[in-house]
Amino acid sequence: MNHKLKRAAVAAAVLFCSPCLPALSAEAPARTELAWTLHYDPKTLDPAKVDDQASEQIRFLTAGVLIRLNRSNLSYEPALAESWNVSTDGKLITLRLRPGLRFSDGSPLTSADVVATFRRVLSPATAAPVAEEFLDPGKVIVDAPDTATVRLHLPNRVVGIASVLDEIAIEPANRITSGAVTSGPFYVAEYKHGEYIRLHRNPFYWKRGNAGAALPYADDLRLDFLENTETEELRFLRGEYALLDHVPTEGFSTLARRMPGVTHDLGPSLNTEQMWFNQSDRAPLPAYEKVWFRDTTFRQAVSLALHRADIARIAYDGHATPANGFISPANTTWYNKALRPVAEDAQSALALLAAKGYRKQGNQLLDPAGHPVKFSILTNSGNRSRERMASIIQQDLAVIGMQVNVVTLDFPALIERLMHTQAYEAAILGLSNVQPDPSAMMNVWLSSSPNHQWNPEEKSPATPWEAEIDKQMRAQALASDTKVRKAAVDRVQSIVSEQLPFIYLVYPNTLCAVSPQLDGVQLSVLQPDVVSSIETMHWKGGRH
Amino acid sequence: MRFSTLIFIGLLGALAAALLLGSSHTYAAQDREHVSDSGSRSYLAGTDELGRDRAVRTAAALLLGLTGACVASALASSLSLLLGSVAALSASWLGRLLLYCGDLFLTLPWIFLLMLVRSALPLTLPPVQSGVVTFLLLAALGAPSFLRLTHERVSRLDKQDWRLHAHAMGLKKSQSGSQLLSHLWPIFWIQFLLYVPACIIAEANLGTLGLGIAEPVPSWGNMVTGLQAAALTSTSHLVYLPVVTLVLVLVALELTIFGAKQ
Repeated sequence: MNHKLKRAAVAAAVLFCSPCLPALSAEAPARTELAWTLHYDPKTLDPAKVDDQASEQIRFLTAGVLIRLNRSNLSYEPALAESWNVSTDGKLITLRLRPGLRFSDGSPLTSADVVATFRRVLSPATAAPVAEEFLDPGKVIVDAPDTATVRLHLPNRVVGIASVLDEIAIEPANRITSGAVTSGPFYVAEYKHGEYIRLHRNPFYWKRGNAGAALPYADDLRLDFLENTETEELRFLRGEYALLDHVPTEGFSTLARRMPGVTHDLGPSLNTEQMWFNQSDRAPLPAYEKVWFRDTTFRQAVSLALHRADIARIAYDGHATPANGFISPANTTWYNKALRPVAEDAQSALALLAAKGYRKQGNQLLDPAGHPVKFSILTNSGNRSRERMASIIQQDLAVIGMQVNVVTLDFPALIERLMHTQAYEAAILGLSNVQPDPSAMMNVWLSSSPNHQWNPEEKSPATPWEAEIDKQMRAQALASDTKVRKAAVDRVQSIVSEQLPFIYLVYPNTLCAVSPQLDGVQLSVLQPDVVSSIETMHWKGGRH
Repeated sequence: MRFSTLIFIGLLGALAAALLLGSSHTYAAQDREHVSDSGSRSYLAGTDELGRDRAVRTAAALLLGLTGACVASALASSLSLLLGSVAALSASWLGRLLLYCGDLFLTLPWIFLLMLVRSALPLTLPPVQSGVVTFLLLAALGAPSFLRLTHERVSRLDKQDWRLHAHAMGLKKSQSGSQLLSHLWPIFWIQFLLYVPACIIAEANLGTLGLGIAEPVPSWGNMVTGLQAAALTSTSHLVYLPVVTLVLVLVALELTIFGAKQ
């Protein structure tokens, strides 16, 4: 009798709970691993020192930030901070932390951790790239009146402060864990140099999905360091990778043919591809070469000689747009529509050079002092689009008599030359624009910045136009009126278009591929593209 | 000796030279309206992803690769012969020292040495000159490979009866060099033949690593690297022309070596 009653009770319980089971399984998919690739090892796991794309992605995946930019609708949403208030003069930001926050090791996250993080980021010893966005990082004061409140006292208004806070990962006070203890959706569980990095879900992550299910849905992320994009695509086709977040153009068409509906061309990204000449005093170059590279007319002639439409069509297989400035047309808020496209005109280029005393002797251009105009262009090896761009540029400049050597280097060796030794003449690289707000580009445009690539870390602006750029960028960062900001940014775009410290080539399109078995994906042109919806991404049907 | 294979290689070279001289396109000229084209009257083997004549580039790569490899191999074999002879005919301590130095050189990771040297080269070094430097390096790296063989051969020759007889008849040591040379010719020839395909493959490998001959000068290395993307996107089999040519040359060389050994 008791046995029968027990059976009946169990049956009743099952019947009672069964309507919930499908809902639960729909709301909280089975945990699983998602894998994709990074093309190279991240240069750092310290979120304060992130300065390259791979490190940026790791930071996005692990960082708990106070405010998060929603990459889909471009709105700023509360994250670790449940609310914030900006004073009328913009100099006091008060943030209220959510209750019950924890780091991935279970330790509580309080205002003390936030204060310590900011102090470390703003410290000159850290040399955090994001510090430049505070304009005067040394004068910023951070304090915490209680365990849940943080106050930022800024010497000047920083417009776009929300975008700055989106880049600052809150870490445990006085502990540099390099991603091992985080307040974001994942933490670094395993890192094998040259092979992969494995991230494990943060069991104490604050965010909840539908019906209160804990985010992220995926248990593990495995990011393989794989430079070879063909191997990456083959593995994606075999189902080993959940997504390809940067599909190279040569693989895009093939992938689209093999797996229709998997590939997505989202149009121009915010990124740019550009060429620049080394104008640094520290560059170990002959004096006459420095004269060329610092001459605006020389740079204008080079720009006029380049066929950007051919670069977009040939180097990017049509998946790029000829560029005329540092803000992409995809950034509709800040793009300067008054800028005209650069029309290729080799004759005008030669005329500009002739006016400065350059002359052609046979096929060779000579400078006024008789030196043949020869220089090398560096770019990173393995990036076929950039190698093709370099070859196209080599041919275009040969028409005006400039002899160009294309030198491809592996990325670390290239960065070493560009950032440290300055032992290069010209380079072609891309710039990833993570945030649409121009304030996020302060670390490139301020002449004192280490990322001011053509002449980094100037003690004072080397030219009047660089001083003007400094002035306008600071002005837009301080202005509260959007129209005033837009005018300042338009002015910077005009200066850059005239002076050409960067000769912009194309805006590459955002190309990605997503496994049809993946759910919870939201596509975006903003970095980190498809990975921006990592918290909700999961395999359909509970695949393990 | 398989003269037929040598003739075949010679014919390939002549065909390549004729193509280069007779074509209206240079290896660097980009026809941007005919990118990745299949074969046509204007472009016999089609064009690559930058609109350059594939046939002309393959011909140039063949001539450059073969010439560079032959020169590097000849230099390596000559150097090996010289050092091996010196090691065999000089004082024993000097001989041992040379052999040990050769063995030590063989243990060096040559790829890193090549990378080191290439990174030390000036960035403005023209592509052809960087190619010359590459092949000279390959020559220097190849010499120690045959050092012990040459040393052994010369040592054995030096102990031959006819050598002793010649010395007894008043022949000076300095005069015996030319006599030795005629006996060493077969070794030189084998070493030369063995090292030519090794140099070709080494240059092709360096090209795939970005250490080979720079653009726009065509080399088997940079053309094979370009095949990685072209093979996926191209619908024409002509895209494999550089690889086919490379394989033909290597097979012909191997058959020549086989014939020479027999």
